[in-house]
Amino acid sequence: MSMDNRSASRSEVPYGTLDLMVLKTLDAMGAQHGYGIARRIEQVAEGSLELNQGTVYPALLRLEQRGWIESDWGTSENNRRARFYAITRAGRKQLADETHNWARTVAMVNRLLETES
Amino acid sequence: MTWGRMLRARLTGKGRTAAELDEEIAAHLDLLARDYERHGMSAAEARHAARRAFGGVAQMRESYREQRRLPLVDTLTQDLVYAFRQLRRNPGFSIAAVLTLALGIGANAAIYQVLDAVLLRPLPVKEPQRLVLLQPREDGREMNFSYRLFRELATHQQVFDGMFASSDFPMHDPVLRGRGPLRAVRGSLVSGDYFRVLGVSAAMGRVFTAADDHAAAPVAVISYDFWSRQFDRNPGALGQVLEINKAVVGIIGIAPAGFFGERVGAAPDVWLPMALQSQVMAMDWLNAPTASWLTVMGRLRPGVAPATARQALNALYQQSVAFALQRTGVRERHVDLEPAAGGINELQGQFKNPLLVLMAIVGLVLLIACCNLANLLLSRATARAHEMGVRIALGAGRLRLVRQLLTESVVLSASGSVLALFLAWRGAPALVAMASAGNAWQLSLGMGWRALGFTAAVALLATSLFGLAPALAGTRVDVHAALQAGWRNQTAGRAKHRLAKTLAVAQISVALLLLSGAALLVRSLWNLRHQDFGFRGEGVVMIDIPVEFSKTLMARHNALRQPLFDRMNSLPGVQSAALSGFGPMGNMQHTSYLSSANRPFRDGDLVRVVHVSPRFFETMGIRIVAGRALTADDRSDSPNAVVLSETAAERLFGSAAGAIGQRISYEKNFDAAKGIEVAGVARNVRFADPRDPFGMLVYVPFSQNPAPATAVLLRGQGDPLQLTAPARAAIHELDPNLLVGEITPLTAAIDSKLARERTLALLSTCFGLLALVLTSVGVYGVISYGVVGRTQEIGIRLALGAARRSVLGMLMREVGLMIGVSLAVGGAGAALLTTAMRSLLFGFAAAEYSLLLAAALLLALVAAAAGYLPAWRAARLDPMRALRQE
Repeated sequence: MSMDNRSASRSEVPYGTLDLMVLKTLDAMGAQHGYGIARRIEQVAEGSLELNQGTVYPALLRLEQRGWIESDWGTSENNRRARFYAITRAGRKQLADETHNWARTVAMVNRLLETES
Repeated sequence: MTWGRMLRARLTGKGRTAAELDEEIAAHLDLLARDYERHGMSAAEARHAARRAFGGVAQMRESYREQRRLPLVDTLTQDLVYAFRQLRRNPGFSIAAVLTLALGIGANAAIYQVLDAVLLRPLPVKEPQRLVLLQPREDGREMNFSYRLFRELATHQQVFDGMFASSDFPMHDPVLRGRGPLRAVRGSLVSGDYFRVLGVSAAMGRVFTAADDHAAAPVAVISYDFWSRQFDRNPGALGQVLEINKAVVGIIGIAPAGFFGERVGAAPDVWLPMALQSQVMAMDWLNAPTASWLTVMGRLRPGVAPATARQALNALYQQSVAFALQRTGVRERHVDLEPAAGGINELQGQFKNPLLVLMAIVGLVLLIACCNLANLLLSRATARAHEMGVRIALGAGRLRLVRQLLTESVVLSASGSVLALFLAWRGAPALVAMASAGNAWQLSLGMGWRALGFTAAVALLATSLFGLAPALAGTRVDVHAALQAGWRNQTAGRAKHRLAKTLAVAQISVALLLLSGAALLVRSLWNLRHQDFGFRGEGVVMIDIPVEFSKTLMARHNALRQPLFDRMNSLPGVQSAALSGFGPMGNMQHTSYLSSANRPFRDGDLVRVVHVSPRFFETMGIRIVAGRALTADDRSDSPNAVVLSETAAERLFGSAAGAIGQRISYEKNFDAAKGIEVAGVARNVRFADPRDPFGMLVYVPFSQNPAPATAVLLRGQGDPLQLTAPARAAIHELDPNLLVGEITPLTAAIDSKLARERTLALLSTCFGLLALVLTSVGVYGVISYGVVGRTQEIGIRLALGAARRSVLGMLMREVGLMIGVSLAVGGAGAALLTTAMRSLLFGFAAAEYSLLLAAALLLALVAAAAGYLPAWRAARLDPMRALRQE
């Protein structure tokens, strides 16, 4: 719950969707470190998303605690030790379920907005 | 994903340390900054931009940490830390509370352990619920099995997985030889399938098989306890030889720890195969068709209903009886199957009510303790009203505060429970030892899951009793008032004080119940001990001679009797000595029919036959009211003579004097040909038990009615116990092979019959006094806390000129009202209690209601004194200081 005003053109990350985005990213790109994941999400959003890159780390921990991703140390492009995250089988299943849910929710909200306007 | 996995992940944090996270963040920022540099920023600008894009590092760390922990565990830890800090701040209160709870919960746990062992627990064998007891009845009378009948049924039955027979009756004091001094052991004869049917295997070695019994193998299985006592748990015990009565047997196995056979309270040391019967008893009962001496149990086959089994078994029983049993004159006979999951329980009848009474007593003590604690916590809650007000004002939820206060209570009761378990672990065996002192039974306790579960449940109940109300009342705070007026908030304080007084009233009422109960039980014991026994027990010692059944028993006793009598009478310090068979305060009795020409035997007459030597009446101090005593002149060749008790003389002949010279016979109907002359009538005595009525007794001389002497009685000058050592030595000199049992003063023998009553009286008194102490502390606390809450009011009254006396009077009126209400409530309860306990009270008379009055008076005095102290202190307040205290 942040209180400061941000520019209207960029929206905040809706609650709960960051997890979905992280899972999708890992599914599409294979093992990644936190920076790679954050960059990827920003690139796909093409500047329409207000993402504090640091927020991916709590999300990554949360996903790992649930067993949807796993992690191990590796070496990054700049030759530093970095933790690489990869999606698990349970994570793929979760992604499929969530994608389905998301689509349904979006469709429902769209219908609702159409009839209201 | 399972919840457990998540919990584990959160609890362990998956090995993530803050340092690792920092490393990840640093790597991230580095990569990001290089990116920016590649887009043309300067190094410093790039680092700055990377920081911005990453967002607040501190916030992220915080939310990362949040994610890593379990919120519930976290606040719980917080609460615990806070609770411990609170409790440490008041060490006096904490120690008192923990001790009170330990006593209260510990007493409950200890009594429950005994109650469980006596009344509730199933036998420690395989699937005890499938065990049944076979109970034959002949014309409604409970019988036992003969060996042949048992064999018939066991061989042909189809409904059991197996049957076994056991008997400890005619082995009553088997004697162990060859291992140090002679001693009595507890033995049981069992059929070969005994251990198999019970589903018990040996802790070491092996148990009996049917083959052992069949071949009359000279083998024995010993109990774990006996192994510990006799062999120090040395495995070398296997193969050792025991000589029990005339049987010489080798130990082949040790029964598992905790296994005590099929009888609660029996706990044999040694089990022998049934086939050895004739070697350990006087007669061969295996081949006696009418001997009714065996207890038989069976294990129902899975899927066989008890009703089906009963039907099948009875059909077989009727067939077998015709050939295996020749007892005649029986109109109807059948076998009942009784559930025997708890074994055969002879203690139950004796101890059920006393144990339930004790359980109620300790429950009430715990209730008082809980009231006390609730009151203490309540006054603390009042003192902390300001704190609570501040915390609520700062946004703490009420539930959170209640939970925190409850955590303190849980910490208290958890510490109390640990101590309580220790108390119960030591206390329960002590209780059993006290109740079984001088008695033959044994009880195996054991801190099982059941006792632990019960303790936990009691602790939980107690916690909610004493913790919940203060926690709720303590957090019901008017924030504004609490913050303005500090903790001396008049209105909220009043409501709490009312609750506190109600709790104190409950305490006093319950304490009155407990004190009344204790008074009645002590009085009952006093009645039992100080009644007229008919003999003078002071100055008499009794030497117990256990009867060792064997074929040579009678010959041996016949040879021993006269020398023993002479020797005992010539011991220095002995005024007179006598022998008796089935003697005073003994566990065995010899009963008979008894009739005279005017009165045949009547159903319900209990006639006890006592074998006596000359000088018996003199030694026991039993007065001869008519005729003469039995003397050395009643020889085997002189005309048979008996002495009757007064009751027997009055029933048979109308009066004591009228009985002299008349004749009795031991038939149902008087048989003149077998008549025996009544030589004298002796004063009535309570012979075998303090609870005995003055019954019908026939004293017969040993010389004319040979029987084993079971007791030597010595009347001496001074301390009768000084005769012990010389008497023991003298008997050993006469017959080194004769086992000499316990030597006790006759009064102690009476006391050992009252172990149950004594235990009950002692414990109820202790708990009554504990209740009294707790209650006075409670009253003291309530009044002194009420005074603290009203310091200002009292100060104003005094400043305005009220006499100190009137302040004292005002406070004492409050105390008096509390006591009055409690005595009314508790008194009504005590009257009900008296009625409910009537069956446990001996010689209860209406005058004993005065005991209840005395208990009430004592309680009122103590409570008033406890209330007077703080009231007196309040009346001596300095008004100026009281007013300045804002």
